[in-house]
Amino acid sequence: MKSFYLIKPYLQENRLRIVLGIICLITVDFLQLFIPRVIKWAIDDLAALQTDLMKLLAYALYIVGIAVLIGLFRYVWRRCLMGTSRRVEEGLRNRLFAHIQTLSAPYFDKTKTGDLMAHATNDIQHVRMATGMGMVALTDAIVLGTAAIGFMAYINIRLTVFVLIPMPLIVVSARFFSKKMHRMYGEVQKAFSDLTEVTRERFAGIRVIKAYCREKDSAARLETKSRDYIDKNLKLVRVTGSFFPLMVLLSNLSLVIILFLGGRQTIDFTITPGDFVAFIAYLGLLTWPMMAIGWVTNLIQRGKASLDRIDKIIKTEPEIDDMPDAKPIKKTRGGLVFENVAFSYGLEAAVSDTTQVLTAIDINLDHGKILGVVGPPGSGKTTLLSLIPRIYDVSQGRILIDGIDIRKIQLADLRSLIAFMSQEPFLFAGTIRENITFGADAKEVELIQSTQRAVLYDTIQSFPEGFDTIVGEKGVILSGGQKQRVALARALLNEAGIVILDDPISQVDMETGRDIITTVRSMADNRTIIIASHRISAVRFADHIIALDRGRIVESGTHTQLMANNQYYAKIFRLQEIEEEFINAH
Amino acid sequence: MRTDFGYFEEKQLGKPYDVKLLKRLYPYARPYKLLLGLSIVLMVVITLLDLSLPYLTKIAIDRYIVPQAESVQGLGRDVADSNVRYLRADLADAKVEAIVQKNADIFKRYESFALVKLDDLEQLEKKELAVLRRSDLAGVSMIAAYFLVIVLVTFVLNFVQVMVMEYVGQMIMHNLRVRLFEHIQSLSVAFFTRNPVGRLVTRVTNDIQNMHELFTSVIVFIFKDLFLLLGITAVLLGINWQLTLISFMVLPVVLLASIHFAGQAREAFRVLRIKIAEINTKFSETIGGLKVIQLFLQEKENYRDFSKLNHEHYLAGMRQVHVFAVFMPVIELLGAVTIAIVIYYGGGKVMTGSISLGALVAFISYMRMFFRPIRDLAEKYNIMQNAMASAERIFLILDSTERLPQPVSTVERGSTSGLKTQTFTSALDNITQIALKDVSLAYIKGETVLKRVSFKVSAGETVALVGPTGSGKTSIINLITRFYDPTSGQVLVNGIDIKKIHTFQLREKMALVMQDPFLFSETVRDNITLGKDGILGKNMQQLIKDSNCNTLIDRLPRGLDTVLAEGGMSISSGERQLISIARALARNPDLIILDEATSYIDSSTELKIQKALSNLMANRTSIIVAHRLSTARGADRIMVLNRGRIIETGTHDELMQRQGFYFRLYQLHSPNL
Repeated sequence: MKSFYLIKPYLQENRLRIVLGIICLITVDFLQLFIPRVIKWAIDDLAALQTDLMKLLAYALYIVGIAVLIGLFRYVWRRCLMGTSRRVEEGLRNRLFAHIQTLSAPYFDKTKTGDLMAHATNDIQHVRMATGMGMVALTDAIVLGTAAIGFMAYINIRLTVFVLIPMPLIVVSARFFSKKMHRMYGEVQKAFSDLTEVTRERFAGIRVIKAYCREKDSAARLETKSRDYIDKNLKLVRVTGSFFPLMVLLSNLSLVIILFLGGRQTIDFTITPGDFVAFIAYLGLLTWPMMAIGWVTNLIQRGKASLDRIDKIIKTEPEIDDMPDAKPIKKTRGGLVFENVAFSYGLEAAVSDTTQVLTAIDINLDHGKILGVVGPPGSGKTTLLSLIPRIYDVSQGRILIDGIDIRKIQLADLRSLIAFMSQEPFLFAGTIRENITFGADAKEVELIQSTQRAVLYDTIQSFPEGFDTIVGEKGVILSGGQKQRVALARALLNEAGIVILDDPISQVDMETGRDIITTVRSMADNRTIIIASHRISAVRFADHIIALDRGRIVESGTHTQLMANNQYYAKIFRLQEIEEEFINAH
Repeated sequence: MRTDFGYFEEKQLGKPYDVKLLKRLYPYARPYKLLLGLSIVLMVVITLLDLSLPYLTKIAIDRYIVPQAESVQGLGRDVADSNVRYLRADLADAKVEAIVQKNADIFKRYESFALVKLDDLEQLEKKELAVLRRSDLAGVSMIAAYFLVIVLVTFVLNFVQVMVMEYVGQMIMHNLRVRLFEHIQSLSVAFFTRNPVGRLVTRVTNDIQNMHELFTSVIVFIFKDLFLLLGITAVLLGINWQLTLISFMVLPVVLLASIHFAGQAREAFRVLRIKIAEINTKFSETIGGLKVIQLFLQEKENYRDFSKLNHEHYLAGMRQVHVFAVFMPVIELLGAVTIAIVIYYGGGKVMTGSISLGALVAFISYMRMFFRPIRDLAEKYNIMQNAMASAERIFLILDSTERLPQPVSTVERGSTSGLKTQTFTSALDNITQIALKDVSLAYIKGETVLKRVSFKVSAGETVALVGPTGSGKTSIINLITRFYDPTSGQVLVNGIDIKKIHTFQLREKMALVMQDPFLFSETVRDNITLGKDGILGKNMQQLIKDSNCNTLIDRLPRGLDTVLAEGGMSISSGERQLISIARALARNPDLIILDEATSYIDSSTELKIQKALSNLMANRTSIIVAHRLSTARGADRIMVLNRGRIIETGTHDELMQRQGFYFRLYQLHSPNL
């Protein structure tokens, strides 16, 4: 159990609860065994017809008394043990979450969100089951099992031995079947996710299906998958459908033995009629622990496997992290320098010419200046910007802020120097206010100011709930342009020295775009601004403009210089000028 | 947790049962009436067999193990004290006679039999006892044998029943699923734009699965649990009705406790489900927006929010633990109270001889059986509630008829299976002309994207649509393929309004090559043929050659039979274009509708695509949304769109002469961009 350390602290923290819970559990087990004894006394007395109502009343009261105690102790153990497992679940989930937050972008490029989600839900649930039900069932199986056998042996050893014959079969088959069930269940799950995928794909590609009249084939395809899913289910049921009846059968076989052998023993007075009835009752108590042994070992195994998987995530070191000699830095007055920077996603990618996303990038930007970045889609603009706050680390060369390699600055400090607005604005389910302030205790004035500058204030005012409008998951209620401006306001609220804007006006109309650009320009002087855009109007005023093509800088200079150059930049500029003209004209 | 689609809907819970919904499910169950009936009969038989087991034990005790006190009552008080149990020995048997003589002191002799007190039997030797109670021993063996047979039969029947039930349930769900899928698929494109794919997928997968649980649990509940409860009650009443009624005094309390618990448990489960859904949302949101979180140094705040949520989940979990920790012991306690009543009251009756000892033991066993289904009741209630919510959502979709109206066909539909096969009297002739007549379109009311557009395209013509983003190019494609119907005006093919042509026939004549080709995760072959038969050997080779796919297919490990990974990502976007061109070729359409790709494609692939496209468009009518002016230049006619209107139209040369929008665009772009 190398990954046991993950849950150890929570178990330690709850050790008193666990001990108390186990004591109560054992007490319950023993108390449970007493009820058959009381019944036995009553039956023996009744068989001999030697009793009276007072005595019967006493027996009845014993039973009720024991049952009340059982109820109380059972409540305590359930709360203690199940509660502990819930606590383990909570702690483990917190830990996983906290760790995932520290991991960096390259990890998420390699890992599917769905897989991580599965760890966060299924695996943690398995661990909870193993610690909760696992613990209970194991204790129960051992204590109740041995004690019941003890009580039975006390009545008659020979009969006990015979009655126990089917019991090992129960353990073995429970183990065998639950393993098999687990595997089959995995297959059912697999078939189910295939079915889901086929359905998803058909709905996502509905236009192709409709345009090519493939409705019939597509339904037939689903039917095949659905049938496959059913087949897997039926296979599973073949196992479960024989497992549970088999358990009943085996325990009933024991009952047959009691009836046959115990009946004979009662007749020849080896045991009393009460013993006979008590035996039946003990058997009832024994079946469950026997099944539990088989079942619980699997449960614990599964929990362990899940814990190992979680451990693997927690052991993953963030690829981008503070270097050991990283320095703190609070302010920047200096410029930003790219020195022969190259970048490629993933080191082992095979195809050689497409791996390099950025090649030989040299930029020297003084403090308080504006850098514009233009280039066709896929030329590397966004990648270039994401190197600055170390979303990715450069593959070659270095990036300097104030003359310090950014990899030698503490990550949190580096990022606090930068206000970043990404191309795809990501909004969280919450209010507009929360999405802009992001937990920072911004004053209302600052909030209003930043939204005004992002040309969003009037829009927010038009919502009935204003800043407290709930935007829904990923900001569904907002339009693309509104989301973009929320992200912009978020970046503007930050007083950071370096402002990075990735295509800030791609989804807003011309007029709003113009206002946003005015805002951006007014921020210059005391802040260094880097702005990437496919709209020339967003960069033409920049102190320095670079044009990227396939990861290389192909042109650089001021607007005037680039226009004179009459290459890519100039062409795009004129094209957009015409478009704007026409949009205004019509 | 199966998928994370649609967890946000967990907040809604349906009524535990709704007769209307069950009624709607009935047609799907009808084809399996017989099997369903068999399953129910089996269930009833199994329940009866289950019920017989404690009764057998009762017989064993009463008849063979502990002789009845009443057995000698007929002889009067002087001979037999009713408060002592006697064993009757038949003197006709010589061996028995010998034993009786040997132990004359404990036997009371009558003419043909002797009586011996049960207590005194202990003084006899085991061998003598065996002789004396030979018939009892044989009887016990018989009972054990019956028991064994019943147990084995129950095992087999149980297995058969479970299999039949599962088969029926799964088949019904399968049919419902296929039906639902076909229904959703037949809905208009507008429906798909409005409903996220994830939600629709959840309907076809998870919701149907929930319904399956509803189906099985309702039937099991009615025919197994309820029947078992009724059966036990009947047997107990048969044994002794007074004792039964007295034991059942506890029932109202059990019922109240169960109802109370069901409410509590439902609430606990509901909160728990909401919390876990919120946790999942938070998790996936954090993973999705992690860059933003990290850039804004929000890790701490985000963790704080999460751990708060997680703790709420813990509390909800504890609440659930509490509810169960109270309910389970309470039910068990009530069960114990019932047994105490049986022992006290029933024991008294045994003393007076009005019921037998075996009956008392049977009572105890039956009472234990009685409490089991009651304990599971609350759980079933939850399942049903969940399933009802799913059923409601499914039928809501099945009720939506958001389809583009189709002309009434004169030939009846083949409706034997779920799949509709439709044939029509007159097939659409080859497309000779396409026209838009005064067409306007608004996806959302008040936001007109096309304004009174009219044009004609004749057979063999290549028409290019040019214009800035949002000018309405794609909308024109949406109208010609009839993904949408115009808000006003008409779309005509060969002079016929396309609303009067069946969509299947219309689309059969055209091939759409989309900007971002959608590939299925199937083989390249399937992606090209899309299930269309009859493209074999030579034809296929020609097709691959025409679409310039040779190099690609040679490169793939299994050639045409290589399975493309999810979303077709294992091949480049240029290669995806090529496959989608091959797909269009495979159809041999009259009309090509092409939405040119904007993404960057390396020049050698670009060249291949151009060649493949010219092969595709040769001798065919084509309508192209052109993003490259070089594409537009090759067209017979160019239509320039802006803000939903056609502002210029003509050949390249004409438009160049006109020196308008197109002219200026072209000047900028040349020689090549």
